[in-house]
Amino acid sequence: MKNKKLLFVTQFEELWFDALQSLMDLRKAGFNHAVFLHVIERDKVAMRRGKGYLKDEEVKLREMANVRFIDWAESLFEQGMEVGAYIVVGNPLPKIISTAEEEEVDLIVTGRHKQGKFEELYGGSETLEILERTSTPVLVYKYMLPSGKVNERPFERPLLTLDWSPASEKAVEYLISFKNILKKVVAVHVIGEKEFKSTSAMEIQSLRKENKQKLEEVCLLFEKEGIEAESHLYVGSTFEQIEKAATEREATMIVAGTTGKSPLKEIFLGSVATKLTKHSMLPSLLVPARVNL
Amino acid sequence: MSKRVLAVDDDPDIVMFVKTVLEENGYIPLIAKNGETGLSMARDESPDLIIMDVLMPRQSGIRMYRELKDDETLRNIPVIILSGIARRTFLRSQEALSEFGDHPVPEPEAYMEKPVEPAELAETVKNLID
Repeated sequence: MKNKKLLFVTQFEELWFDALQSLMDLRKAGFNHAVFLHVIERDKVAMRRGKGYLKDEEVKLREMANVRFIDWAESLFEQGMEVGAYIVVGNPLPKIISTAEEEEVDLIVTGRHKQGKFEELYGGSETLEILERTSTPVLVYKYMLPSGKVNERPFERPLLTLDWSPASEKAVEYLISFKNILKKVVAVHVIGEKEFKSTSAMEIQSLRKENKQKLEEVCLLFEKEGIEAESHLYVGSTFEQIEKAATEREATMIVAGTTGKSPLKEIFLGSVATKLTKHSMLPSLLVPARVNL
Repeated sequence: MSKRVLAVDDDPDIVMFVKTVLEENGYIPLIAKNGETGLSMARDESPDLIIMDVLMPRQSGIRMYRELKDDETLRNIPVIILSGIARRTFLRSQEALSEFGDHPVPEPEAYMEKPVEPAELAETVKNLID
């Protein structure tokens, strides 16, 4: 099995060592190399009137991150993992992208950053920008469940949301590559209200039948790999229905393909990926259509 | 002829420190910034000694050390591990890899936990290659 790398991006706000530790199940899917990245945001050390560049502050922040990373690395090294670390100053987005390229990672794990007013409006765009520019899948990791418990095995019961786009086909293929840690896949398609154009019951039933058949075909792909799968159709507003399905089916994570449209387009079109990143209570695994499998 | 020492570390401050100590003591420093380039330079340059960190980008010192000791042409080059990672962790990590099927590797010739005094480093280098 190929030795895969995950890039664990932490600002020491949301994602700590217990979050990383809860992802160790990924080793069964070939992820034996973790790379830590902490970006010291430039405005924390930038020039101040009368003080110049805050070099002492940079040294302090670097060393704080270094102490944490050494401790984390020691734990992972002792488990036989391979570990690397980056502590850099700059803007998070370009640093995440350049580190992902430098290390040729297979998965990027991020948390949700604390949001200011601007970010509240455009929230999620950072993740979409990463997806657009790196073609590497991103796991927006929320490891604390709404119940307050730690989501110990996020890959155990993923809800796979399918819209029959090329991106969702890639999401299927990508998810299958985690077959060693998947217990059951819940495949869901949401029929939007707009699709009920016809008032004919026959046509509506045909629509249901057609989508259900497609879902069943996807389930078969997982079952061929020895993974249990079930399919469900929901009707209504896509994001709300996905969240509803995730709760009803006790999903541990939501998986979706992303189109690769520019982040602003995604936001203004109100894409599912944006909403998952911003609002979902569960971890979201977003797979770009251009992902290299 | 001056002996050549390969220093492998991604931290520019540490690289500068090691380079200065080596030069002041009459050695020729060779520099690599991660385990991957470190290993390739070790193969190309056959240095007399390697000073290396553990937590590095691309390839860690744990893997690099293992590959050095697995390579017939490199295994006799003495190694000083200079790292923030504790010696005990380094040894346990090597044991963990052995448990996963790799064969055991010998302990490094010297292990120094950062930070170290220039004289201490110079003395250790001298003891290993002069």
